[in-house]
Amino acid sequence: MSMFRRTGAIALSALVVGAFLVVPSPASAQTVQTRAESFIATANARALALDVLGIKVTVGASGIEMTSTPAAKATGGGVLLVPGTVSTVETTGPSQALAPPKACVLNLPIANLLSVALACGEAKVDSTPGAPQAFGSGSVAAIDVGGQQILALLSPVLDALTPLLDQVIGTVTGALNPLLGGLLPGLVTQLGLDPNTGLVSSLVDGLKKATNLATIKLGNSTSQGLSETGKISAIATAQGGQIDVLPGLALGGAPLLSIVVGSAKATSVFDRAGGTSTPGFDAAILTVKLGLPILGNITEIPVKLGSPITLLAGTPLESTIALGAGTTTKNPDGSVSSVADGVSIHLLKGISGGIKLELAHAESGIGGQSQLVEQQKLVEPVAQLAKTGNDPWVPMVGFALLLAAFTTRRLVVARPSGKRNPADN
Amino acid sequence: MLINLLRTHRWIRVSLSGLSVALLLGGLGLVGYPFFTNVWQGRIQAQLDDQLVSPELQQAYKEGKIETGDSLTRIRIPAIDVDVVVVEGITPSALRAGAGHYPNTALPCDGGNVAIAGHRTTYGRPFGNLDQLKTGDKIDLITPIGACQYEVTKAPFAIAPDELGVIAPSTDKMLTLTTCHPKGSAAQRLVVQGKWVSALTA
Repeated sequence: MSMFRRTGAIALSALVVGAFLVVPSPASAQTVQTRAESFIATANARALALDVLGIKVTVGASGIEMTSTPAAKATGGGVLLVPGTVSTVETTGPSQALAPPKACVLNLPIANLLSVALACGEAKVDSTPGAPQAFGSGSVAAIDVGGQQILALLSPVLDALTPLLDQVIGTVTGALNPLLGGLLPGLVTQLGLDPNTGLVSSLVDGLKKATNLATIKLGNSTSQGLSETGKISAIATAQGGQIDVLPGLALGGAPLLSIVVGSAKATSVFDRAGGTSTPGFDAAILTVKLGLPILGNITEIPVKLGSPITLLAGTPLESTIALGAGTTTKNPDGSVSSVADGVSIHLLKGISGGIKLELAHAESGIGGQSQLVEQQKLVEPVAQLAKTGNDPWVPMVGFALLLAAFTTRRLVVARPSGKRNPADN
Repeated sequence: MLINLLRTHRWIRVSLSGLSVALLLGGLGLVGYPFFTNVWQGRIQAQLDDQLVSPELQQAYKEGKIETGDSLTRIRIPAIDVDVVVVEGITPSALRAGAGHYPNTALPCDGGNVAIAGHRTTYGRPFGNLDQLKTGDKIDLITPIGACQYEVTKAPFAIAPDELGVIAPSTDKMLTLTTCHPKGSAAQRLVVQGKWVSALTA
């Protein structure tokens, strides 16, 4: 009997203790993955990049970079590398709004080759959490490309090359005629050149009479990072401009050649809800006009995308005008970028690298991850604050059970009424 | 009469004897319940201590992949002599570790409202003396990748269990501790809130 009791007691003890220690875990082991929104946006625009005989100048430049940190920085420059025309600003922490005054310089000479009437740079940033903003702008009023200085550099080369070029001008004229038709004789007359000399010699003579090689009027370039409720945008815009080659050379004050470039715009947009990014661009529209009063009107020379026009091909004076395209790129990580090119002009390629002009270039990029809210919903919502205390009845029931055990035991060992224990005698 | 009945039927006496043993053990089990949970919590904490400093947990923490029941942070409250590892989650099984992190709230030392629940009378009773905290008392959280300090800004106060506003997201960096109230009961919740003070160097 005692063996039975001991075995029963051990078994019950195991049951009671086990009931508390081996309760199966509720199935709620869901992984909670929360993720804050993150993004980075960049935009850069350039009104003009000029390479004159190896001297490189960037005019009307702007750029921004903006992140979800939040952080923002912006640069706007009338003429890059000329400090008085460049404004740069960057946040150092959240909730900052910085907008320094515009940086401008009047009548700025550059390397004795260029003269810039007014160059300005502007930059503004704001690092409000969740809604950062950045803006940069660069602008110039007008640029004169000094013909005399450049020709002073070119003259020895041109003088040596001219006789040779005139010997092959038949070929060159053949290449020009489809483009200019019967304009060449009129051009020579209109420019007041000697028709008995060679074409190249005539043009060089005309160049030597010019006061300016070119006048360039440019629109602003702007770079923007915008935060809106549903999207983040990186927008770069170069507003284009007009290049007048040999201004005032022709009778009536018209330029020999007028190149009008429309605006180029590159946009990258991040959808904050969907976490996807979309690139886009508007490439510049190019119009090349030959302005000769003898024609009675302005003749427009078509330049098609992917079909650059080349003048004086095969000679050191070869010059090319190309209309830029636009491209968009999507990367495996979901980020995107877009580029919108304006116009690329390469004059006098064969002479010391010539003069390169790139107008209206804009590029932007963006990438990011949206806030992970869907996965948060997978977590069972908390109905009430965690229960971390006993139910008060637990110890009371325990004591009640002990009392019941004691009473039951007393019943078992109690003697029947009216009978005495023999040991009492 | 009843005693006589017991005398005449042996099987009744045997049954009653077994019942008394069962009641005794059941009663002892319930009365000793807090003791059992404390022993159990001590064993869990020993495992969580090792897990908290493991490279695997560091990596999981960085990737935001801490599973319910895994070590999340250590909480130290010198004013009431608390030093325990807090696990992720507030399920009953997770809370056997003593203290658990509300999964819908900010991660320790991150921006927002970090909410932690702790037992008051069982499972090591880490928050047994939460009511003794005062404004200005310091609370340290040591995560697998860093540490930070909070300071009590609101004296302990009791609320109903369904008042979830105390663990709602916040733009400020703050810490909310909850436990059951009064002691030995789950009728209410005791809440202590603090603000971010600074990051701590290791």
